[in-house]
Amino acid sequence: MNIYVYAFRRILYVIPVLLGVCLIIFVLFNLVSPDPTLMMLGKHANLKQMQELRHELGLDRSYFIQYLDIVKSAFTFDFGRSWSTKQEIIEMIKNGAGPSLTVTVPAFLVALIISLIVALFVAFYRGSWFDRIAVLICVALMSIPSLAYILFAQKILAYDLGLFEISGYEQGFPNFIPYVALPCIIWIVLSIGPDVRFYRTVILDEVYMDYVRTARAKGLSETVILFKHVLKNAMIPIITWVVIAIPFLILGALLLESFFGIPGLGGITLNAINSADFPVVRAMTVLSAVAYIVFSVITDVLYTLVDPRVRLK
Amino acid sequence: MKLALIFLATMGLLLNVGCTKKVDSSEKVLNLVVTAKIKGLDPIYADDRYSSNEVARVYEGLLEYHYLKRPYTLVPNLAESLPEVSADGFTYTFKIKQGVFFHDDQAFPGGKGRELTAEDFVYSIKRLADPKLQSTGWWLLDGKIKGLNEWRDSNVSKAAVDYSEAIEGLQAVDKYTLRFVLKKNFPQFLYSLAMTFTVAVPKEVVEFYGKEFLNHPVGTGPFILPIFEQSNKITYTKNPKFRTKLFPSDASDEYKKLGYLDDAGKTLPLVDKVVVTVLEEDQPRWLNFQKGNLDYIAIPKDNFASALTPSRTLSDDLAKKGIQLMIEPSLDVTYTAFNHENPLFKNIKLRRAMSLAYDVNKSNELFYNGTALPAQSVIPPGIAGYRHDYLSPWRGLNLEKAKQQLTEAGYPNGKGLPEITYDCPSSTVSRQMGEHFKSQMEQIGVRIKVVQNPWPDLQKKINNKTVQTYGIAWGADYPDAENFLQLLYGPNKTPGANGSNYDNPVFNEMFAKAAIMQDSPERTALYEKLNLMASDEVPWIYGVHRQSYVLHHSWLKNYIPTDFESGQAQYLNVDLAMKKAVSAKL
Repeated sequence: MNIYVYAFRRILYVIPVLLGVCLIIFVLFNLVSPDPTLMMLGKHANLKQMQELRHELGLDRSYFIQYLDIVKSAFTFDFGRSWSTKQEIIEMIKNGAGPSLTVTVPAFLVALIISLIVALFVAFYRGSWFDRIAVLICVALMSIPSLAYILFAQKILAYDLGLFEISGYEQGFPNFIPYVALPCIIWIVLSIGPDVRFYRTVILDEVYMDYVRTARAKGLSETVILFKHVLKNAMIPIITWVVIAIPFLILGALLLESFFGIPGLGGITLNAINSADFPVVRAMTVLSAVAYIVFSVITDVLYTLVDPRVRLK
Repeated sequence: MKLALIFLATMGLLLNVGCTKKVDSSEKVLNLVVTAKIKGLDPIYADDRYSSNEVARVYEGLLEYHYLKRPYTLVPNLAESLPEVSADGFTYTFKIKQGVFFHDDQAFPGGKGRELTAEDFVYSIKRLADPKLQSTGWWLLDGKIKGLNEWRDSNVSKAAVDYSEAIEGLQAVDKYTLRFVLKKNFPQFLYSLAMTFTVAVPKEVVEFYGKEFLNHPVGTGPFILPIFEQSNKITYTKNPKFRTKLFPSDASDEYKKLGYLDDAGKTLPLVDKVVVTVLEEDQPRWLNFQKGNLDYIAIPKDNFASALTPSRTLSDDLAKKGIQLMIEPSLDVTYTAFNHENPLFKNIKLRRAMSLAYDVNKSNELFYNGTALPAQSVIPPGIAGYRHDYLSPWRGLNLEKAKQQLTEAGYPNGKGLPEITYDCPSSTVSRQMGEHFKSQMEQIGVRIKVVQNPWPDLQKKINNKTVQTYGIAWGADYPDAENFLQLLYGPNKTPGANGSNYDNPVFNEMFAKAAIMQDSPERTALYEKLNLMASDEVPWIYGVHRQSYVLHHSWLKNYIPTDFESGQAQYLNVDLAMKKAVSAKL
C-alpha cells in the first residue's frame, strides 16, 4: 500500500481516539475532580459567587452540551483560557514547549548516541569483564533516584565548583545554553542506564541469530557484522523505543525544570490537576493523544525503510 | 565517524558554555525570589500573595501601609490625605493626588500615559464587581458599597456589562474627588483601599488589550513592565515618569535604631531594576542566595540547622559573609477547629481536655523548627487586642489537668467517647501534623482518625458542616483584629468564614459592637475581652503564630519582613560598593 494512503488512514484513527479521550476526561472530571469554583475563589468563596462562576464557566449546562464543547475544542485545538491563570492555553503551551525542548532534545539525542555506541561495544565484548562492568554500571545508574542526581549535581557541580549555573533560563540561542547544560547532562546520565540495557538486549537477540553465524562463517569481521547486519535488524525495536519517546519530550521533565527554574511544560499538567484547571488538563491530554498517534504512524513508516520485508496494510 | 564528531561537538558546547559567567553592572538591581509561578498581572485576580506583590510593583492604590511603622499604619498613597469621614461613618471622601500619570503605552493616544483621575478608581472598582469577570477579590467589597451589589446583580444576565451606569455609593464628584458611601458602618473599609484589588487601572488599556490585559500591566507605580511573559524571570525597570515620592522621614523606634532613616527624604524608587525569579524548590533558592544571586530569602525548613545556631541566632558561617537575620511575627494563627454544630463539641470540658493534651511546644519543634510562637488565643502579636503577658490556662501540655477535664466531661480515660475524625489537606506535612495530633490525643484516651482531603474537598466538607475537627490556618487580610475575631462570629457560620460554626451570643454582641468602632482605646479593650473569651471557651485548639526568619545580604538596605509586601521594592536600596566587595568572597 502506498505510504501516504497508509499514513492518512492511520491518522484518521485520531477521530475515534479523540472522541474516546474526551469522554474519559469529561467523566473523570465530573466524578473525581474537586470543585473548580472553590479552587478559583479560595478561602472567601460563598455560594452565590460559586454559582455565578459555574454559570460563567458553563458548568451549569447539560452534560451533553459540555461534552460537545470539549469535543469541538479538541478538534479545533481552541482550548480557550486557563481557569486558574486566565492565560490562553495555546500560548502557555507554546511558551513552555520551547524551554522544555531546549533541555530534552539535545539530551535525548546525545543519550541516544552514547547508549547505542555503548550497547554495541558491550554486545561486541559480550560475556567479558567489560560487558559485566557495563551492565553493573547501568544498574547502578538506574538505582539512584533522579532527585539524588539533581541535588548532588546542583550542589557540587554548580554551587561548589562553579562549573554550571545553579538555576535560571534565558530565552534565545545561545543565551539558554549555560542554563540547560547541567539539566541536559543529568538527563543523559539518567537515560544511559535503561537505554543501554535495552539496546544491549535487542542487539544480543540479533547476535545469536543464524544469519550472524553464517556471516561469521563467510569470514566477515565482527565489526562489519555488528554495525552493518545486526544493527540494521535490531532497528525495529529501537525505532519503536525512540520514536514513541519523541512526543513526550515536549512535556519536559518536571523535576529538572522545577529545580533548575526552567519555565517549561514539565509542571503544567500536574499543576492543572492540582488546581482542577480542566481546560489545561483537557488540552494536554488531547495533544498527547494526537502526538502519540502521529508518531506511531511515523514509526510504522520508518519500519518499512529499515526492513523491506515489512509491508504497510 | 560523523556521529562521533557531532557528539563530541555537542558535549564540548555543553561543557564550555556551561561554565558560569558573572555580569558586572553599575545599575542598582534588586534580585528577588518567589516560590510559585505568577499567574498574571490583572489586579482583580491577584488573590495570592505572589501575584499581588507583582501587581503592586506596577500599580498603586489610594492608601498604603507606612513602611517604617509598627503597628501597621495606613497612610495616603495616591490619595492626597486620609479621607474625610462623615460623622455617621458611612461616607468617605478622598482627594486624588494631581499630576500622577499612567505609564506610557500604545493604548493611549500618542502612546503617552495620561493623568490619573477619580474616575479611574470608579472604573477599577466596577471591574472588581463585574459579574462577567468573576474577580476573586469581589468578597472584599461584597455588600459594602451602596448600589454596587445591585449594579452587579443587574448586569449578571446582560450580554455586556454597562459601566456607564452610575452607582450611588461610588462617585467621582469631580476630576480629583472620589466619594464612597457605605451600606453599613465598616471601619475596616480603609484597609480594602490598601489592597491590590482596588488599585487604579486605566480603562483604555483594558479595552485595548481585552483578555490579554493581564499580560500588559499599565499602572502609575514606581516600576514598569511593558509585557508580562509567562517565564520564571520578570524584570521591572524604574518608571522614569514616577511622581515625586520620598522615602519616609519618620519611623518606629526599632527601625530608627537599625538606621532605617539613612535614606530619609530620597526620591523613590531607590533601585533601577527589580528582577524577580521563580524558584519553587528550596535547594536552588538557598544555593542562589549563598552565591549572592538573591538579595534575601526566607530560610527554607531544611536549612535551619545550617543557618542558625541551636539558640536561634545566626550561624558564624553566614555571619562572616555579612549576612543578617531578621525575625518578624506573621499575622496569622494555626489551629484545630471543632465543628460546634456537632453535639459532641458543645461540651466545653471535652474541648478543654483536648486542648490541654495537645503539646504545642513539641509541635512547634517538629513542624516549625521551634521558630513559631505558641498561640494563646486567636489574635496574633502585632495587632491591637493582643496581650503579650497573657497565658491561656487551657494550653497544653498538662496531661493531669486534661484527664481531669475529660472525666468531668463524662469520658473518663476516653471511655464512651466515639472516634473523632480529623480532616486535613492532602500535603505530606499536613498528614504529619494530623498523625502528631492523633498521638497527642491518645495520651488521654481520645481516639482520632486522620482523613486527608484535596483542598477543595476540605472546603466543601467545612461548608457542608460534615467535618468534626480539622486543621487549618488563617493569615490576615488586613492588620485588624476584626479579621481574626470574625472567624468566631456566630452570623458568619458556614458557608461564611466561621468554619467552626462557633456561636456564643455574648461574643456575638461584643463583636458586633467592636466591629463598627473606629480604632480607639475603647475598641482595643473590647478586642482584648473578645480574645480572652476566645481563649477561655476553647472553640479551637490553638496552634502557633508563625514567624518569618529571613536572611538578607549586607548590601541590601531598608529590608523589613512584612505581611504586606506590596509596594516594598520601591523602599529597598542596594549598596553597590558593598555588594562588589562582599560578592567576591561568596
